[in-house]
Amino acid sequence: MSTVTTPAPPADAARGSHGLRLDPRAKLFLLLEANLLLFFHVGTPTEAVLTALFIVPLLLAGRVRSAVRFAVVYAALLGLSLIETPTSGGWAWLAIVPMLAVGIRMLLPCLITGAYAFTTTSPGEFTAALRRIHAPEAVVIPCIVVIRFFPTLREDYRHIRDAMALRGIPSGGGSPLRHPAQSLEYIIVPLLMNANTVAQDLSVAALTKGLGNPGRHTSMADIRMTPLDWAYMALCAVPFALFLTGVWR
Amino acid sequence: MTATTPTTTAAARGFARLSVPDLITIGVFTAVYFVLVAVCTFASAIAFAGFGSILLPALCALVSGCVYMLLVARLGKFGGITVMGLVMGLFFLVSGHFLLSFLANIVFAVAADLIAALGKYRSRIGILISYVVFSYGLTGPILPLWFMKDAYVAALEAKGKDAAYIDGVFAQVNTGSFWLAMGAILVCAVIGGWFGQRMMRKHFAKAGIV
Amino acid sequence: MTVAYDDAAAARPAVQAHGVGFRYRGEPGLPDDDATQPPPALSDVTLGIADGEFVVLCGQSGCGKTTFTRLLNGLIPSFHTGDLTGACTVYGLECGQAAIEEYAALVGSVFQNPKTQYFNAFVADELAFPCENAGWEPARIRGRVDEVAQRFGIAHLLDRSIFRLSGGEKQRIAVASACMLRPRLLVLDEPTSNLDRRAMDDLAALLGDIKRMGVTIVVAEHRLAWCAGLADRYVLFESGRIVGDHTAARFAAIPEARREAMGLRTLDVAPFRRRVDALAARWPERADAAANARAADDAPPAPPRPVESATAPGPTTSGPTPADSADTVARLRGTPLPESPAAPPAGPHAVPEPPLTDDRTDDTPPLPRQPAGAGTAAPATPGALLSTRGLVVGHRPAGRRWFRRRCTPDTGGFSRPIPDLDLFPGEIVGVMGHNGAGKSTLVRTLVGLARPLAGDVLRRGAAARPRTLMRAGFLVMQDVNYQLFADSVRGELLLGTTGEDDERAAIRAVCDAVLRELDLTGLADRHPMSLSGGQKQRTAIASALVCGKELIVLDEPTSGLDRRHMVQVGMLLRRLAERGKAVLVVTHDEELAAAWCDRILDLDAVPGRPERTPGRTAGQTNPIRPRSPIRQGDSR
Repeated sequence: MSTVTTPAPPADAARGSHGLRLDPRAKLFLLLEANLLLFFHVGTPTEAVLTALFIVPLLLAGRVRSAVRFAVVYAALLGLSLIETPTSGGWAWLAIVPMLAVGIRMLLPCLITGAYAFTTTSPGEFTAALRRIHAPEAVVIPCIVVIRFFPTLREDYRHIRDAMALRGIPSGGGSPLRHPAQSLEYIIVPLLMNANTVAQDLSVAALTKGLGNPGRHTSMADIRMTPLDWAYMALCAVPFALFLTGVWR
Repeated sequence: MTATTPTTTAAARGFARLSVPDLITIGVFTAVYFVLVAVCTFASAIAFAGFGSILLPALCALVSGCVYMLLVARLGKFGGITVMGLVMGLFFLVSGHFLLSFLANIVFAVAADLIAALGKYRSRIGILISYVVFSYGLTGPILPLWFMKDAYVAALEAKGKDAAYIDGVFAQVNTGSFWLAMGAILVCAVIGGWFGQRMMRKHFAKAGIV
Repeated sequence: MTVAYDDAAAARPAVQAHGVGFRYRGEPGLPDDDATQPPPALSDVTLGIADGEFVVLCGQSGCGKTTFTRLLNGLIPSFHTGDLTGACTVYGLECGQAAIEEYAALVGSVFQNPKTQYFNAFVADELAFPCENAGWEPARIRGRVDEVAQRFGIAHLLDRSIFRLSGGEKQRIAVASACMLRPRLLVLDEPTSNLDRRAMDDLAALLGDIKRMGVTIVVAEHRLAWCAGLADRYVLFESGRIVGDHTAARFAAIPEARREAMGLRTLDVAPFRRRVDALAARWPERADAAANARAADDAPPAPPRPVESATAPGPTTSGPTPADSADTVARLRGTPLPESPAAPPAGPHAVPEPPLTDDRTDDTPPLPRQPAGAGTAAPATPGALLSTRGLVVGHRPAGRRWFRRRCTPDTGGFSRPIPDLDLFPGEIVGVMGHNGAGKSTLVRTLVGLARPLAGDVLRRGAAARPRTLMRAGFLVMQDVNYQLFADSVRGELLLGTTGEDDERAAIRAVCDAVLRELDLTGLADRHPMSLSGGQKQRTAIASALVCGKELIVLDEPTSGLDRRHMVQVGMLLRRLAERGKAVLVVTHDEELAAAWCDRILDLDAVPGRPERTPGRTAGQTNPIRPRSPIRQGDSR
């Protein structure tokens, strides 16, 4: 929503705003709430309602397929965890099934909000949000670098695997189990050697573009909390508050 | 005119402000570490299925010694390990892990940083201990296992199940597995850290990188 | 204080260097230091650069030109530490006094490696990055991003992941990002070392625009040809000192041979291009490779011929005659050319004519114009080490993706029919073509790293599976760092070899012989990563020789090399061929290809063109320049 309301130039509007999107800080709020859910062992009805509320933004952001997938998995786990298993006899071990189901089900809200935050926030917005909540540069800079470096790492790994294959060094399948130390050495040493070079080059690139500037750093992504963000946060807070105050369990 | 930066002079090793290149170096190595953790997560999920995840931190400790040792050697000042733990925690949090993993990462990272600082980031033993401590930061994602168990026990009790039955089901999942996981981390971190230090001498020192 | 050089002493000097000396201090891991106490990188450098000038810094690698650029953008002494003497002012900023952040607003920088010089994952973020650091307001940043994107013709790339762009596009982004803060000075350090011909021409056009805006431009380069039309001045470095300072006209007037003696790459690639085009036009016709090798064998390893100053020093703007061009190429090669194909009277930018239209000798079987899929299996040419029949290389569209979001917009499929080719022992074959023509996919298929989509690769006449090819072939990657695993050069060669004691002794003997042959004996106990780029390359090749590989493929072995090192690579290729290896070299470097390749396959010139299937979120947009037509459609 936030990106839609601002009179964004075409290039900005084109940048992946499919449908409605919450502010990164609202996403963070949902994420924290999901975590608190786990921490406080909320009752099953509260959990179910909140999970539904967490899936809605995914739908609105146009990520229909993952939203549906999450909903189905949650429903299946909910069903499994409600199964009454025999308490004694040869089938008592079946108790493990609902136990596992409960375990995974309780993690799902975290995973859903996490997936939402991770897949709908551009690195630019993420950085902007970090800067807006006054995260120190010591956190912001490594975060940008981590996001920037992931694809490089994957490509590096491919190159290394190719090089190992050409040299006749076994690299796939069971070889990490047969020669664990050697496989680790051959993969991670070139990886780190390259990481070291990249760190140098990135430093040079960043310094010449003024990353070391002591003054205020701004962000191009113009994130702002809209009434919708506030409303949605409030909506999600209600069931949780009701549970905590004991009104509805 | 002579220009100097304090990074390499012995006197300034220890507590100095982190510069932009330092932060970028931390970011790069954190990315490598993060990927190793992710790979271990998949590997343990496939290899041990289900309960294998309690051995996840140990597995990570086994493989990521090189990254840690190289970061410490490249940086040699306070803050590097802390920031790495902080960023790891942040990414755990954003990717939907438990809030505890965020906190555990930070707490153990700060402790590890302090321990390494005691040895001025030079003492091999000091760094090894610091690595062991840092490895416990990864217990965050698996702690919910024990928390959830409590929740399930509570649910069963609410249903009026027999306490003896409950004990029977959970005797194995309980403290035994907890100490097993913790002990495995210790052993694996020592091995992984030792391996990392060996790689440092064998490759990085010889190649003139540290 | 003010030193007037030639006619460069304009009213407002952009750069004033006076008696500058610099010595790197042994910070670990810097790419520059190879000894504990390196010699000074710069000594007594005095140079003035006028506002709006386009200056090219040239000289052999290690001559100090890169160090000088670091002085201009403030990296010295903020990042690269060391002992600095003298004074250098850049638009009023005193080197050593001003912080690097102050330079950021005045000086834009572009570096050598397009892969590692961007800091953000997405194009728009990278463009906004300098403005964000300067603390601009969001609306102003967006306005500037759009303005620059329009001007640089990259508006269609704004929402793309930089990671997925071609090298040329990355370099364009780098230049655009460097221009975000409207710098007065643009510093480029070997910006073309990873670019193909077309991308270099694009970059030259781009810099021409920027120059017209009045920005001062300083380029440190080995390859001089691409910016020959733009440069106002050439400053020649040697061992950290300035040994020559010429206006463009005077520099061009220096005889080519004298510039070669200075260790410079050619100013005019036209002769090389002509020979490359001539060779490519004759594909797949083969001069007798064995005879070639023998001829090269018999000829004494002639030292580069002494500089002849017969060519009159004067404005030789008229192109050299074909005879002259063959001479130029031969001079680079060090030995006479085996047979010089009649150069077609083509201008430097003429599109190479498709083969098979004219002057074909009748002993070569006709090449199928559009190699069909499998089934048209002609028998392999006798004597060929590797042959391809009806080969289609490429990869299928990626299914799942590991890193979600819009990072990977074009992981679509790609397929490219390859004209049947035969590789013979003792022969150097060049593969050329623009980025994306399928060169690297082809070589990956030939060494067994990728499966062919259709058709066969035959080894000594028998269809070979990828595993067999992998045992027979070796690829020296462009970034050779990935290929070095051991902790010493000798260990690298012995890696993976196993056997009983007597076998080990034999292997060691082979290893020692290979070390001697590739001049690595003195380095046998060094860590491979502590070596120079060329030494690393030789180490990788040595490891292949110890394994008894028959086909050696080199991917861009000369990117970023000066003339001397390029010649070394060329000689190495020849030595490999003389050993009876089949050598395949993928390159953009016309000078290398013209002087050392026996045959050249130009994928842009032969029939068959790459076909792409768009990825899931293919935001395919109109390319800014006409590429070779890329057909979009489903190739499955």
